[in-house]
Amino acid sequence: MRKRRVVSWIVLALALMLVLACLTTASAAEKFNWKKYSGTKIRLLLNKHPYTEALLGNLKTFENLTGIKVEYDIFPEQNYFDKVTIDLSSGSGSYDVFMTGAYQVWQYAPPGWMEPLEPYINDPSMTNPDYDWEDIYPNLRKSDQWNLKPGNPLGSGHQWAIPWGFEANALMYRVDMFKKYGIAVPESLPALYATAKKLNNIDGSGIAGIVVRGSKNWATIHPGFMTQYASYGARDFDDKLNAVMNSPKAVEMTDLWVKMVREAGPKAWTTYTWYQAGSDFGAGKAAMLFDADILGYFQNVPGASACSGKIGWAPGPKGPEGKLVTNMWIWSLAMSAKSKNKGAAWYFMQWATGKEHLTKAAVDFAMVDPVRKSIWENPKFIAKMKENYHFYETFQAIIDNCSILFTPQPKFFETTTEWAATLHDIYYGEDAKKALDKLVAKINRMMTQAGIRKP
Amino acid sequence: MASTHHNVSAELAIQPGRFVPDPRDLRQPLSVRVRPYLIIGPALLLTVGILYPFGLAVYYSLTNYTLSNPNYSFVGFLNYKMLLTDPEFYHSAKVTLAYAFSATAVETILGLGVALLLNRETPLARVLRTVMIFPLMIAPVIGTLIWKLMMQPSVGILNYLLGFIGLSHFEWAAAPQTALFSVVLVDVWIYTPFISLLLLAGLQSMPKEPFESARVDGGSAWFTFKNLTLPMLAPFLIIAVIFRLIDSLKMFDVIYAMTGGGPGQTLMNFPLQAYYYGILYMNLSYGLTYMIILWAIVYLISQILVVYWGKAQQRAAGL
Amino acid sequence: MHGAGRCAVGMVDHGADGGINMESSARNRFIQSLLTVIMLIYFAFALFPIVWMVLISLKSQPELFTTKFVFKPTIESYKAITIGLKYLKGTGSFRPDFPRFFLNSIIISTASVAISVIVGVPAAYALARFKFPGKENLAFTFLSFRFAPELSVIIPLSILYRRFGLYDTYVGIIWVYQLITLPLLIWVLRGYFEDISTEIEQAAMTDGYTYWEVFWKILLPLIRPGLAASALLAFVFAWNNFIFAMILGGGKVQTVTVAALSFLASEQAHYNQMAAASLISAVPQIILALIIQKSLVRGLTFGAVKG
Repeated sequence: MRKRRVVSWIVLALALMLVLACLTTASAAEKFNWKKYSGTKIRLLLNKHPYTEALLGNLKTFENLTGIKVEYDIFPEQNYFDKVTIDLSSGSGSYDVFMTGAYQVWQYAPPGWMEPLEPYINDPSMTNPDYDWEDIYPNLRKSDQWNLKPGNPLGSGHQWAIPWGFEANALMYRVDMFKKYGIAVPESLPALYATAKKLNNIDGSGIAGIVVRGSKNWATIHPGFMTQYASYGARDFDDKLNAVMNSPKAVEMTDLWVKMVREAGPKAWTTYTWYQAGSDFGAGKAAMLFDADILGYFQNVPGASACSGKIGWAPGPKGPEGKLVTNMWIWSLAMSAKSKNKGAAWYFMQWATGKEHLTKAAVDFAMVDPVRKSIWENPKFIAKMKENYHFYETFQAIIDNCSILFTPQPKFFETTTEWAATLHDIYYGEDAKKALDKLVAKINRMMTQAGIRKP
Repeated sequence: MASTHHNVSAELAIQPGRFVPDPRDLRQPLSVRVRPYLIIGPALLLTVGILYPFGLAVYYSLTNYTLSNPNYSFVGFLNYKMLLTDPEFYHSAKVTLAYAFSATAVETILGLGVALLLNRETPLARVLRTVMIFPLMIAPVIGTLIWKLMMQPSVGILNYLLGFIGLSHFEWAAAPQTALFSVVLVDVWIYTPFISLLLLAGLQSMPKEPFESARVDGGSAWFTFKNLTLPMLAPFLIIAVIFRLIDSLKMFDVIYAMTGGGPGQTLMNFPLQAYYYGILYMNLSYGLTYMIILWAIVYLISQILVVYWGKAQQRAAGL
Repeated sequence: MHGAGRCAVGMVDHGADGGINMESSARNRFIQSLLTVIMLIYFAFALFPIVWMVLISLKSQPELFTTKFVFKPTIESYKAITIGLKYLKGTGSFRPDFPRFFLNSIIISTASVAISVIVGVPAAYALARFKFPGKENLAFTFLSFRFAPELSVIIPLSILYRRFGLYDTYVGIIWVYQLITLPLLIWVLRGYFEDISTEIEQAAMTDGYTYWEVFWKILLPLIRPGLAASALLAFVFAWNNFIFAMILGGGKVQTVTVAALSFLASEQAHYNQMAAASLISAVPQIILALIIQKSLVRGLTFGAVKG
C-alpha cells in the first residue's frame, strides 16, 4: 500500500518538475537568469598563465553577476598537468572546472573524466542568448571535439572543452637585424636554414641564428617542428595508426631541421624549453624564434626584455609544395565529469569564454590570442596588436590554416616524448633515418601493446 | 646485530638496580614488558598509514592498471617480465646506481672534510658553520633551475666565466658525455651540507679525553684521525650515508628540472621512468613496477649498511 | 663496552680544537694548508650560486639574462612577490599569494618537526635502550618509510586523501611529512642515545631523580647536538619538499616551494622573482640554524650532566 503511495507521489513530483522545466525554458528565451546558481561555490584548477591573470583580474564581475562564489588553485606550469591527471584519476571531483590543452583531451576524455559540453551549449536555459558559440573560430571549436576513436580526426563527437585562448606558431625575428643585414623573411625550410646560418654568430656577435625548443618533452615537437613537418606533407601516423616518422619526406625534413639547429641553433639545445627559447630571444641571443606567437609577444612588451620593440612576426616557412599548415596550442576550459556543481560550473565557463570577458581580457589584459573572431575585429584590440610589427597580419594570414596536426590518440605524450628523444640522438650524431626507424619500431610496439594498433 | 646488543645487556645485567629493566625478562611485570612498544607506538601509528598505499602500489604493479582504465585485472608478474626484457631497464639501472653512488661518494668525502675543518672555534669556522648549510635551504627544484640558468651557454654566468679559459661552449647537462657530471654536481652542491652537518654534530659530541691522551703519547695527526676520529665518527658517517644513498637512489627533482631525463635517454633513472610511465603516459602499473624494483634495491642496500652501522656503533663504543 | 672513555667527566670543555690534532711538523702544516685551500674552493662552489641568486633577485627583467655583476639594482622582484606588481600590460599578480604561502610553509614545517620530535625522541630512546623482541625490525621499519619512493605512493595516497577529506588540509600535509622528518630524527637520535652510558642514568637515579627528570634534565641535554642537527635537517627537508605539497595540497595549504616555481610563468621566466622568493623562504631556515648553532656546538658538557 505504502509503496504505491510513494510511487504516485514521485510521479506527481516528476510531472510538476516537467511543467516547471517547460516554464523556465520559455522564460529563458526572454531573459537569461544569471542568478540561477546564486550561492553555489565552484572550484577551479588553473595553470599559472597570463590568461589566468586576466581571468583573476575580472573575476569579481562574474561573482557579482551570478552570485556564484569562485575558489581557485593555481599551480606552476612545469607540473600543472601532473596535478590535473592525478586529480582527475582519483575521481573525486575536487575541482569543477580546469584548464586543459587539446592534446590532453585525448587522455582525459576516454576514461570519462570530462563532461561533454554540447548539451549545455545547445540548451537555451543554460546558455545565455548572447553567447554566440559560432563566433569562436571553427577550427578551434573542432580541435576540442572528438569521437574518442584513436586515429579518427577531430571535429566529430562530443565537445570536451571550450577554447579559451590559444597560441599559433609563427616565425619571429629581429626586425632591426633583418633590416641591418638586408635579409628577407625566409619562405621555405631550406631558406630558413640558410638565413639562420647566415645570421649565426654574425659579425662575431655570438648570437644564434635561430632558437627553437629542444628538451626531452612533447612540447619540443608541437610548435615549430610540427608546423614544418606537416607543411612538408609528412604525417605522424598513417590511417591504420602505424607510425610513419621515417617516411622519406619525414626523414628529409627532420634531418634538415636538426642540421639547422646544430649549425645555427643555441648551444645546449637539448635542455631548451619554452623559458630558455623565449629568454634567449628576448635577451638578444638569437636572431629568430620559431614558436608560439605569444612567446615573442611577451618579449616584445615594453620593459619586458632587452629586445622589446624589436620583434617582428611572419608566418612559418612553406613546405616544398608551397603550402603552410600551422600547428597550434589551445588553452581550453573543461568540466570535470565528477563535478557536483555542473550548472554553476557551466555558468562560469560560458562567462569566461564569452564575448564580454574575452574582449576585456584581450584589450585590458594579456589575452594575446583570443579565440573569438569578433575580438580580432575589435578596433581597440587591433590597435593594441598593431604595435607589434606584423603580428596582426601574420595572425590573419595563418589562422585559416591553423589546426591540430597530430593524429588524435591517447598515447600522444609517449609518442612525442620519444620523438623528442630521437631528435636528441640525431642531434648528437646518429643517422636520421636509422634513428627514426628505431623510433617507429618503438612506437608501433607501444601502440600495439596498448591495444590501439593492430599488430 | 641482535648479538651485539645481547652482549651489552649481558654485561649490564650483572649490575643490581640498573636503570633500564629488561622487557624481555619474563619476571618483569607486564607494564615493563610492553613499555618499549608503548613508547614507540605513537611514532609507529603516525607512519604506519603509509604501508597501505605502499601495499596498494605493490598490488597495482601486479595488475594491468592504467590511470585511464580502472577496470584492471591481475596479471601476475607480467609487468616485471616486460621490464626485465626491456633494454631501457638496464640502462636506467646503470644511471640510477651511477648517479647515487657517485653523488654520495663525493658528498661523503667533501662533507667529512668540511666537518673536520669547521670543528674548531675560530671566528671563521663559526661563521662558515652557518653559511655552510645555505645550499640545503634552497628547494632542490629551485636550486636546480638556478643552476640550469647559470649553465645556459647563451646567457649563463658559468659559461661566461668558462669563456676566460676558452670553454664558453661547454654544454653541461645538455651533452650526453657531461650530463651525469652536471646533475651530480648540482646534487653535491645541495647535499654535501647534509653530511657535514650530521658529522659536525657527531664530532661535537665526542669525548675529548682519548684525543688528549693521544696527544700526550705523541701520535701523528693521521694516526689520531685513523684510529680515533674515524672509528668514533663511523656510526654518524654511516647514518648520513644511508640517508644520502636512499635519497639519491630516489632522486627525481634535480634530474627532472635539469633535463627531464634527456638528452635522449641519457639520464633516465628509475624515478624518471616511473614518472613518465606512471603519470605522464598514465600506464600506472608499469611505472610502479620500476618503483617497486627501486624499492627492493634501496631495501637491500640499506640492510647492508645498517649491519655496518651496528658494527661501527659497537666499535666506537669500545674506544 | 660503553666504556669509561665516554663517561661524562671526560667531556668537559669540549670541541675546542676538534678531531685532528694538528701541530708540529712542517708536513702537517702543509697538509693543513692544502686542506684549507680545498675547503676554500668548496666554499666558493657552495656559495657562488647563492650569491648569484642574490644578484639576479635584484635585477630587472631586461637585465636578468646578462652576466653582469655590476648593474642598477632594483627591489622590484621583492615587491612583485609580496605586494604585487603589474609587469606587462595587465599581467602580473593580482593577488600576491606569496605571504600566505609563506605562512603555510611555516605552519606545516614547524608542526611536522614538532610532532616528529615529540613522538620520535622517545621512540629513538626506546630503540636505543630497551631490548625487546622485534626491535631491529621495528627500527628498520622506520627507516624503510623513507624508502618508499614518493612517486610510488603518491597516486594511492592521493586517492585516499580525497576519500577521507585530507586533500588540501594542514593535517594531511603534516601527516605525510612525517615520512620525511620522522625516520631521520629517529635514526640519528638512536645513535646518540646509544652513545650515552647507562651509568649516567643510574647515577642520577641514585641521586633521587625521577624517571622523567632523568630523561628531561640529563639525557636530553646530552643528545642536544644530534637533536639540533636532525631537527634542523628535518625542518629543511619538510620546507623544501615539492612533490607531496604539489599533489596532496591545493591552494589553501600551498607552500612557498610550490609557489616559487610558478614564477617561471608563461609570459616570462621570472628567475628574479623565483630567486627572491627562494631567498625569502630561506630566512626562517637560517634563523632556525642560528638558534640551533649554539646547541650544535655546546654539545656534551659536564654542566649539562649535572643538570
